[in-house]
Amino acid sequence: MKDQLELMLKEAEQEIALCSNPNDILNTKAKYLGKKSALNSLYSRMKELSAEERPAFGNQLNLVRARIESLITERGNAIKEASWAKKAVVFDSSMPGMPLDRGGYHPLSIVRREIDEVFLSMGFEIAEAFDIEDEFHNFDALNTPQDHPSRNLADTFYVEGGKLLRTQTSTVQIRVMESYKPPIRIISPGRCYRNDKPDPSHSPVFHQVEALVVDKGISMSDLQDTLQNFAAIMFGPNVKSRIRPHFFPFTEPSAEMDISCVVCGGSGCRVCKQSGWLEMGGAGMVDPAVFDILGIDSEIYTGFAFGLGIERIAMLKYNIPDMRILFENDLRMLRQFKGEM
Amino acid sequence: MRIALSWLKRYLPVSPYEAGLADHLTFAGIEVEGIEELKALGHTVVAAKVISAEPVPKTDHLKLCVVDIGATEYAEKDENNQIQVICGAPNCEAGMMAVLALPGTALKEITIAKAKIRGIHSHGMLCSERELGLSENHAGIIHLPEDTAIGTLADQLFSLPDTIFELEITPNRSDLLGYIGIARDLSARLGLALIPPEANALPAANSSLKLGLINEEPELCPRYTARVFENVKIQESPLWLKTALIKSGLRPVNNVVDITNFVMLELGHPLHAFDYDQLESRDIQQDYPDIVVRKAFANETLVTLDGKNMVLGDANLVIADGKKASALAGVMGSKHSGITGQTRNIVLESAAFHPGNIRRTSYNLKLSSDSSYRFERHLSARYAKEISDRAAGLIMLLADAKGMGELLDNYPKEEEEIILGVRTSRFEHLIGFPISAEKMRETLEKLGFCYLQDAQYKPGIVKDILNLQMASPLDDPRTIAQYYRIPGYRKDISREADILEELARLIGYDKVPKITLMQQIMDRHAYRIQKKAAEWMVSWGAYETLNYSFTDPAQMEALGFNESELPYIQLLNPQSMNQSVMRVSLIPQLLTNLAYNLNHAERDIRLFELGKVYHKTSSAHTEPKHLGAICTGRVYPEHFKKPSQLLDYSWAKGCFEGLLSSLGIVSSMSPYQTPYLAEGEAYAYFYQDIMLGFYGRVTARVLEAWGVDSTNLKQEVWLMNWLLDDIVEICRNLATTYTNIPKFPAVTRDLSFLLSDKYRYGEIQETILALDPALVQRVQVFDEYRTKQIPEGYRSLSLHIVLQDQEKTLTDERVDALMASVQKTLSQKYEITMR
Ligand SMILES: [Zn+2]
Repeated sequence: MKDQLELMLKEAEQEIALCSNPNDILNTKAKYLGKKSALNSLYSRMKELSAEERPAFGNQLNLVRARIESLITERGNAIKEASWAKKAVVFDSSMPGMPLDRGGYHPLSIVRREIDEVFLSMGFEIAEAFDIEDEFHNFDALNTPQDHPSRNLADTFYVEGGKLLRTQTSTVQIRVMESYKPPIRIISPGRCYRNDKPDPSHSPVFHQVEALVVDKGISMSDLQDTLQNFAAIMFGPNVKSRIRPHFFPFTEPSAEMDISCVVCGGSGCRVCKQSGWLEMGGAGMVDPAVFDILGIDSEIYTGFAFGLGIERIAMLKYNIPDMRILFENDLRMLRQFKGEM
Repeated sequence: MRIALSWLKRYLPVSPYEAGLADHLTFAGIEVEGIEELKALGHTVVAAKVISAEPVPKTDHLKLCVVDIGATEYAEKDENNQIQVICGAPNCEAGMMAVLALPGTALKEITIAKAKIRGIHSHGMLCSERELGLSENHAGIIHLPEDTAIGTLADQLFSLPDTIFELEITPNRSDLLGYIGIARDLSARLGLALIPPEANALPAANSSLKLGLINEEPELCPRYTARVFENVKIQESPLWLKTALIKSGLRPVNNVVDITNFVMLELGHPLHAFDYDQLESRDIQQDYPDIVVRKAFANETLVTLDGKNMVLGDANLVIADGKKASALAGVMGSKHSGITGQTRNIVLESAAFHPGNIRRTSYNLKLSSDSSYRFERHLSARYAKEISDRAAGLIMLLADAKGMGELLDNYPKEEEEIILGVRTSRFEHLIGFPISAEKMRETLEKLGFCYLQDAQYKPGIVKDILNLQMASPLDDPRTIAQYYRIPGYRKDISREADILEELARLIGYDKVPKITLMQQIMDRHAYRIQKKAAEWMVSWGAYETLNYSFTDPAQMEALGFNESELPYIQLLNPQSMNQSVMRVSLIPQLLTNLAYNLNHAERDIRLFELGKVYHKTSSAHTEPKHLGAICTGRVYPEHFKKPSQLLDYSWAKGCFEGLLSSLGIVSSMSPYQTPYLAEGEAYAYFYQDIMLGFYGRVTARVLEAWGVDSTNLKQEVWLMNWLLDDIVEICRNLATTYTNIPKFPAVTRDLSFLLSDKYRYGEIQETILALDPALVQRVQVFDEYRTKQIPEGYRSLSLHIVLQDQEKTLTDERVDALMASVQKTLSQKYEITMR
C-alpha cells in the first residue's frame, strides 16, 4: 500500500505540472482528490492494516493529500496569473502613465486655509463680515480720530451711500463684539481695500486675517504665545516671533509682530534687509476705549488682537517676488501650486 | 439593592420630596435602575378569619371556606358577617387569619369578581404575596398573625401604597449597602436631619452560659464580637418585620435569622447567629464551648446552610468551634450550627473581615451571599459593638430571650483613623462655583464627617492634629482648611479630592455653572459646504482664480447685462473707469482670465472663483458668495492611450449637476435665457422654486468682445455659476439617513430601440421609473447613435434597467412581465421600434 501511495504522488505531481488551463485543473483535482480517487480508496483500505501500522499510514495519507492539494492550488493560481499577463506585448514602463486630472487652489487660498486650520486647532472660530462697511465700524469704533489721514480719499475707497470698502479686517472685532459677549476667540480672514496703485508690494485689493481674543485674564503673554505657535506651525519649528512697540489707535499697548527671517534664518539677507526679522502685521491689547464703545467692562475683560497679511505670508512662503503675480491668474503660475493641497 | 420608601422613612422624613426622590438619588450619585410602585389595595382587601375549610367534592385541591370579614362592608355577607370563598391554596385551613380580596378589587394581575366554581358561589379570593404585588411568592396564601383584628385593611398591614427603588451601588460605596447609608446621603443632599435607628435598652448581662473566644487570624479578622442569648423562643417574626424583608427582596425565616437580616439591611453590616448548643469546646476539660476564628485545615469540610458540601483549605477563613468549622467567615454559616425551631440558646456574631479574603473565598468556592457581597466591599471594624447591640435589642424584644451574656469583643488593633483637611478655595477652583465654610461643614457633618478644627492646609492624611498650624484671621483664606475625622464606613475617602467630590455630588452637579469657552460664532456648516464646493471644482481639474472685487461696467454691458435689473454699487474714488463698480457677477472676470490664458497659448483651460459679489438692494446691500467656472478644451489631458475629446454640454452638465447631487440636493432644470449664453444650450436649476445656478455655452459674440477669435478656437466654452449662499441654506436642512442594504440581488435587463426626435430621453426614463417604483431602481442610457441604416429624424438608444425587490428574490416571470409592460408602454406612448 505504501508503494502504491508513493507511485500515485509521483504520477499526480507530473500531471499537475502539465495542466495548462482551468479545466485541466478541475479534472486533475477530481482524479486525485475526488470521491472515487485512488487516495480515497486507500483510506477505506486502512482497516486491512494492523492496529500498530494504522496511525503511521493514516498520517502519511494525510500528508500526501495535503501535498496534492497545495500543488493543485499553486498550479491553478499560476494559470490564472498567466491569463492576466500580456504575453506578446512588450511592456515599456518608461511610457507616461495616465496624467492626474485634477486642478488646484490659488496660493492665497492655500495660505488662508492653512491659517484657518492652525487657528481652528487652537480653538478659535471663524467669523465673517462685510467688505462694504460704514465709517463707524471701520474708523470710529476702532478709536480712529476724525481727522486721521487714513480716512482720506487717497487712502480709502468710498462707495455710494456713505459707505466705504474696509481698510482692515479689524472691523470684524467690532461686528463680533456687538453681537457676542466674551469670551470671544475668533479669526476672520477676508478682503481689504486701500487706494494704493498696484506695485510689487501693494495691491488695492488684498487679504488679511484678523484674530481677536477677549476673556478674563487675557494678557500680552497670551498674544506672545499665540503668535509663536502660529509662526512655528506656519513656517517651521525653528522660526521665532517677537513683538515690538508701535502705534495703532485701537490697541493699547500696540505692537508690530515680527518673525525671524525664513530665508536666512536670522543672520541677515536681502529679503529681511539684513535685519534678520520679517514684519508680519500689527497687534496689541484691545484699547479700553474700544470696549467702552461696545459696552464691555474693561475692568473685567481684557483681550488681544492682531492682523496678518495673507499676501505677505504667501510671498514669503513661496518666494513670490511681486504681489501683482497673485492677481493675474496665469495658469502657468497656478499650476505650480497644485501639489500644495 | 431594593429600597422600600416606607422603610426609608424610618430614618429620614422624605415625604415632601417623594415625587422627585428618584432624581435626588440619581444626582446624589446613586443610580436608580428601576422603580416599582406598590399600589394601595383599598377598602375591599382585608384581614379575614377562615372559619371552616372543607374539600370540594370531586376536586383534588379546592376547598370551600367560610370566612369571617367582621365589620367590613359587603352586600352579600350573612348575619354573622360570613361569606363563602373557594380557595385552592395548600396551606388554607380552618382557624387561620388570611387576606381576603372581595369582588370588585383590582389586583396587580387580575380583577376579582363574584364567581361560580363547580356550582358553588365564591365571593372573592384569599391572596398570596404575589397577588398583592408584595413579592413573587405564590406557594400559598398569606398567613397573618392570629391576633390580627378581623377587617383590618391590607394597606395598613403591609404599609401600602409603597415604592420600591432598585438601586445600583458602585463598588466603592460599601456604606450604601444599608438603609441608613442611603438615608445619610439623602439627608446631606436634602438638608434633612437623619433619624438614627431606635435603640432598644439592653438589660445587664445576666446569662450563666459561658463562651470562649479565640481569634487566631487578627489580620483576616480584625474584630470579632460574640454574645450569647439564653432560652430564646424561635418563632415567626411579627408582620411588620416580615413585610419589611419581603419588600427588600428577602424571605422571612424565623425571628432570629430575620433580625440579623433586618439589621444587615438597616445598617449595611451582616451578622450571623449560631446555635449555642451545637458548638463544642476545644479543651475536653472545659464545660463550655468555644468560638475559634482560624484558617480551615486542608480538606476540612463544611455543609452550608443551603446544603452545599464545601471542601476547604488554608485560603479560607472559618468560624469554628473547638472541633469543627461552623461557618465560612463572612460568607455563610454551616447547616449543623444554624438556627432551627429546636434552638434554645444562640451566639450572635458581629465581626469584620478582610475584604480580599472574603472575595477570594467567595470566588473560589463559587458561593456568594448578601453577607459576602457586603464584606468583600470592605466594612469597617469600628461599629461591630453598636451593630451587635442593635440586634441584641431586637432579639430581647422579639425572641423572648431569658438571658443575655456579656459582649465578647476581640479587637486587638484599633482601626486607623483618617483625618483630612479640605479648603473652600479648592472647591471653587475645581468645581467652578464658591462654597461657604458653613455650607461645607453642614454638608459634611450630615455625611457623618466629624469636624475637628480650622488650620493651615497640609496635603495628605494628617497623623497628628496637634501639629497643625492654627488658623488666624490674618491668614489668606485660600490656605485655610477645615479638618475632619472621616467616619470608618467611608473607606472610599482618603484625600481632599475625595471630599470635594462628595461636596460636588451632594450640592449637585446641576449647580455647576456652564462657563462658555466657545460661542458658536462660526457658521461651520457654510464653511464646510464652501470647502466642498471648491474641492469639487479642483477635482474636476479646475484651477482657482482670485479677482478684484471691483470691475468694469463696460464689461457688464458687453455681456448684455442690464444695469436696471442688477444695479451696481459705484466707487466714489476709483483708480480707473475699468475698476469703478463692485462686481455683481464673477463671469466677466472669468472671461478675462480665459482670454488671458488663451493669449498665453493655453488650450485646455478650466478656471473657477469662489467669492463674493456685491448686490445693491433697495435698503442696503448684500454680499452673497458665488461659485463660477469657465471651461474649454480637452476632457482628458493629452495621453497616448486616450482619444482626444473636447468638453461639451454633457461635461458641463455632469459637473454642474454633480456638485448639487453630491450635496444631496434633488433639483429640477429648465431652459435658461441670458444674453451671453447660447439659446437652447443653457439651463438653470431649481430646488422647489429657489434658483441654484445655471450653466451654458458662451456665445461667439461674447468671446469676440473679450478678444477671443472664436473661429480659430474650434472648441466650445462653457460657463457654470452656482448661487452658493442659497445652496448652503438648502443643505442646512438636509439630513442623510441610512436605509437598509437590500438583501436580495438586483437584476439588470437591457433595452435597445429607435426613438423619434420628437421625444426626449428624460421622458422615457421617467415613464419607466413610474411603471413600478418599488421594483425599478434605476434607468441608465449606455448608448446613443445615428447611422445611415437609421431613418432620418430617429436615433438608437440602449438602456440598462435595474430591477430589485426589497422583500424577495426576483423571479424570471416577474422580470419578464415588467419588461413586457415597459415595451408596451413605450411603444404606445413614444412609438419606439425595438431593435
Ligand atoms: Zn533674511
